[in-house]
Amino acid sequence: MFHVGSRSTVDLEEEITPEEDIVKSRLKEIPHNEKLLSLKYESLDYDNSENQLFLEEERRMSHMGFRCLEIRRWVICGLIGFLTGLIACLIDIAVEELAGYKYSAVKQNIEKFTEFGGLSISLILWAALNSAFVMVGAIAVAFFEPIAAGSGIPQIKCYLNGVKIPCVVRLKTLAIKVFGVICSVAGGLAVGKEGPMIHSGAVVAAGVSQGRSTSLKKDFKIFEYFRRDTEKRDFVSAGAAAGVSAAFGAPVGGVLFSLEEGASFWNQMLTWRIFFASMISTFTLNFFLSIYHGKPGELSSPGLINFGRFDSDVSSYIPFESFLFFPYYFPGGMLGALFNVINYWLTIFRIRYIHRPCLQVMEAMLVAAVTATVAFAMIYFSNDCQPLGQDSTEEYPLQLFCADGEYNSMATAFFNTPERSVRSLFHNPPGSYNPLTLGVFTLVYFVLAVWTYGLTVSAGVFIPSLLIGAAWGRLFGILLSTITSSQSIWADPGKYALIGAAAQLGGIVRMTLSLTVIMVEATGNVTYGFPIMLVLMTAKIVGDYFIEGLYDIHIKLQSVPFLHWDAPPTSHWLTAREVMSSPVTCFNRVERVGRIVDVLSNTSTNHNGFPVVPGKICGLILRSQLIVLLKHKVFVERASSRLSQRRLQLKDFRDAYPRFPPIQSIHVSQDERECMMDLNEFMNPTPYTVPQETSLPRVFKLFRALGLRHLVVVDDENRVVGLVTRKDLARYHLGKDGLEELQLAQT
Amino acid sequence: MDLSAKFTFVIACWAVTFITVADCAIYPSETSGDSARKLPSAVIPVSQPSTLGSFYSLSLSSTFPEDLNEYCIELLRIYRQRYVAYANCLVTYARPVKVCQNCYTGFNSLDGIYKNISSDQPGPGNISCHDSLMRSDRLMLLYALFNKLDEIWTSAKCKQCLSKDQEALSNDTVYFMATLNQSLSCFEQYQRNHTELCKDCKASYRKLKELYGSMDKNQTLCIDLEDAMNITQQLWSKNFSCLLPREETVPVIAVSSFMLFLPIIFYLSSFLHSEQKKRKLIHPKRAKSSNSLMNIQDKFN
Repeated sequence: MFHVGSRSTVDLEEEITPEEDIVKSRLKEIPHNEKLLSLKYESLDYDNSENQLFLEEERRMSHMGFRCLEIRRWVICGLIGFLTGLIACLIDIAVEELAGYKYSAVKQNIEKFTEFGGLSISLILWAALNSAFVMVGAIAVAFFEPIAAGSGIPQIKCYLNGVKIPCVVRLKTLAIKVFGVICSVAGGLAVGKEGPMIHSGAVVAAGVSQGRSTSLKKDFKIFEYFRRDTEKRDFVSAGAAAGVSAAFGAPVGGVLFSLEEGASFWNQMLTWRIFFASMISTFTLNFFLSIYHGKPGELSSPGLINFGRFDSDVSSYIPFESFLFFPYYFPGGMLGALFNVINYWLTIFRIRYIHRPCLQVMEAMLVAAVTATVAFAMIYFSNDCQPLGQDSTEEYPLQLFCADGEYNSMATAFFNTPERSVRSLFHNPPGSYNPLTLGVFTLVYFVLAVWTYGLTVSAGVFIPSLLIGAAWGRLFGILLSTITSSQSIWADPGKYALIGAAAQLGGIVRMTLSLTVIMVEATGNVTYGFPIMLVLMTAKIVGDYFIEGLYDIHIKLQSVPFLHWDAPPTSHWLTAREVMSSPVTCFNRVERVGRIVDVLSNTSTNHNGFPVVPGKICGLILRSQLIVLLKHKVFVERASSRLSQRRLQLKDFRDAYPRFPPIQSIHVSQDERECMMDLNEFMNPTPYTVPQETSLPRVFKLFRALGLRHLVVVDDENRVVGLVTRKDLARYHLGKDGLEELQLAQT
Repeated sequence: MDLSAKFTFVIACWAVTFITVADCAIYPSETSGDSARKLPSAVIPVSQPSTLGSFYSLSLSSTFPEDLNEYCIELLRIYRQRYVAYANCLVTYARPVKVCQNCYTGFNSLDGIYKNISSDQPGPGNISCHDSLMRSDRLMLLYALFNKLDEIWTSAKCKQCLSKDQEALSNDTVYFMATLNQSLSCFEQYQRNHTELCKDCKASYRKLKELYGSMDKNQTLCIDLEDAMNITQQLWSKNFSCLLPREETVPVIAVSSFMLFLPIIFYLSSFLHSEQKKRKLIHPKRAKSSNSLMNIQDKFN
């Protein structure tokens, strides 16, 4: 039995007593690397504890009651969709306004100084504005909620996998996330606002479904039935789907994203509800944005990113052209792998050396300043001038040294929010960019994007990947049309930009089904489905040959005990006996309070589940349950004297969820320590057990499919010999020389 | 391209035969459009205007009992005249574009007769020509012809250059023309010496640009002004090459390289001075002789 980890609200570090310190110092210390499992992560309790309280409650509940529950689930999903859509809308409008203000200020300044000299001042102004925005965002993230950094997709993946990441679905995280993303996009970093939407949606879902906020200390006394990990997980997957749907205007893509990331726990009704949430979310966003754009009812922006329309007849797509896209399949995977490798080393460096918040803020500011500088230098030295078109999408055309009536083409790529740049790469007419501009842009943006991802700001990687891909895709399209030289169907480089964008994104994140559907839905043209699918498939195969996807890398580097789909191959010879933790701390059916308090207080063995014995296994009781019992002082000796008092109900356990008080906050007097506690009523009487000889893959399958937290290993006579937990299973993985074992570490 | 287009055409037609025939029709129209572009000479002779006589002689309708009445024929005649006049004007002032200034009377009169025909008000003898002229066949030629020209007029935004009643040029337009002429005459003056020109005409050119910018904001530009401005800009930037000099390369490079230098210092200093984060390894409780990596390796071999 082995599940060590700080309970959510306690900080382990503070409680280390001197003598434990000596023990700790004897332990080996190594620099952070990817082959570690952190102790701070725990499992979620997906397994329902079928104790007597539960059975009683079920008996009391009428048929009507269960119907109402179902209706409530639908209402919650609707609310999740609505709120997620609103948040997306807020982000979009805020970014638009702030970026608009910034770019028009810089543009005015540049125009003024182009004529009279002093352009280096404009450069400094631009860099300073960028840094200022990013600084505010980075301070919020680094000092108030570090978990809000990055896109949040790895964290949500872990959550759906069954890992409890501290603070990941709190209201505070949501607030910081939204604020941070607005700052970092407005600050001109090479990031997008799409990834964080998924995290935001998940937080909204976790909050709404509980009917209360522990951060705000407000309990609406609704949806109390759903205060359990199992129910919450279902809603979080709906929230993630709603987030994807709002980010890309892709409701089906959102559902498939949840399916792909959390598919081990799935059923048909849940899928249907998730789809409902996704639809509501994209519709809400669309509706409110149409009001913002002054055309209420004209539903033209279903997502945060809008790829614009790809008309079938204009950019006619022809079957055999998808084979011509063929050379394309490889750079996507290779460049994606390169991106991931560089980012991997950078992230390790960051974890090891740049771990202090003030350093993190400084780094983010530096990146912002350098981004502006590089962009400015590119624009300054670019000689690519293009005439201003009547239907040009350029919001802030910069003339600089171009002839009057023309604009600097490099500026359309750099002097813009990344989403707009993607759109202009997709849709600007042929000839809007010259190949040199695109080549340089791809290179520079690649470096900036690699460097930016992993900073302590909340920001996504989708848009920069799309932008890099679109740039080299368009370059490829232009080269192709010069080779074939005839004014023909190849002439439209926009669709090559689209395919390139898909290839690059697929090469970096390695999502398959959901990404294809997201891309198809975002372009709104099913005919592109086939080439996009081929491209993503190849990108994944080629990329996986070198390194895993970006999100998996970051999950690994966070030392999360993540369970993949299957146990590592060649692990059948390992049996439960070798995998399990042993010996196990057990309790008796009627246990002395003093012993329970002592076991729970022992920080060196921070266990979470305790088999109940004597002799044969009779049940399993969780730390959270014991704490609630101690808090309510449910002792055998008191039972007679307090007959008038009501009995403990399941509701009492739910009220404490999800932040159970730490054991230290519960006061147990010397007298009470001698009391006895009857666990029969509260323990789960039928925990899952396996015999000692069960192979690892078998244990793994049981664990993964049922979402277990503890699996008791028993001998022939049903006596407890060990306990398998998530970290026992997650430590095996396939390395270069066969099976390797990850080490446990305190982080 | 031909080969591929034909290939697709065949494939596409084969595929959609039983769905719809209309889909197929899209593809041949593409190819035929291409070939038409290659043979412009074949198109020209067709546009010979037919005389009134040939109109009658060709017309089979004279044999029909339900003939057009005199009034409608008269309307049709006026429409023809005004149409020709207006189209003539458009082509005459196509390059450089001066259609708005010169053709607004033509457009107004054409618009008038078109409205007259299309109105349902009965003329003398209680006859409405709307149905008989405009809607008796599927071609609806009068409608299509007018529609095209109206579209051109709209996309040229000529209304924005005209006064409220569309009868004269607006004051803004006249003022812009005057300013433009100032600049052009200045250009004329310094035709020889471009460096002089760039210096001395700058004031008037800048004034023109500012005026243009403000008119752009007020939505009082039409194609005439846009085109005139475009040509002037090209004269200024391309012909006289009055471009802004790129003089500040050194300071820009200096500031940029300073900025690029900062992260290097930052990373170096944090690498050297920041304490490396160490992780404390924990040894979990295991059943005897089972958990070390050595063991796995042993068992593997």
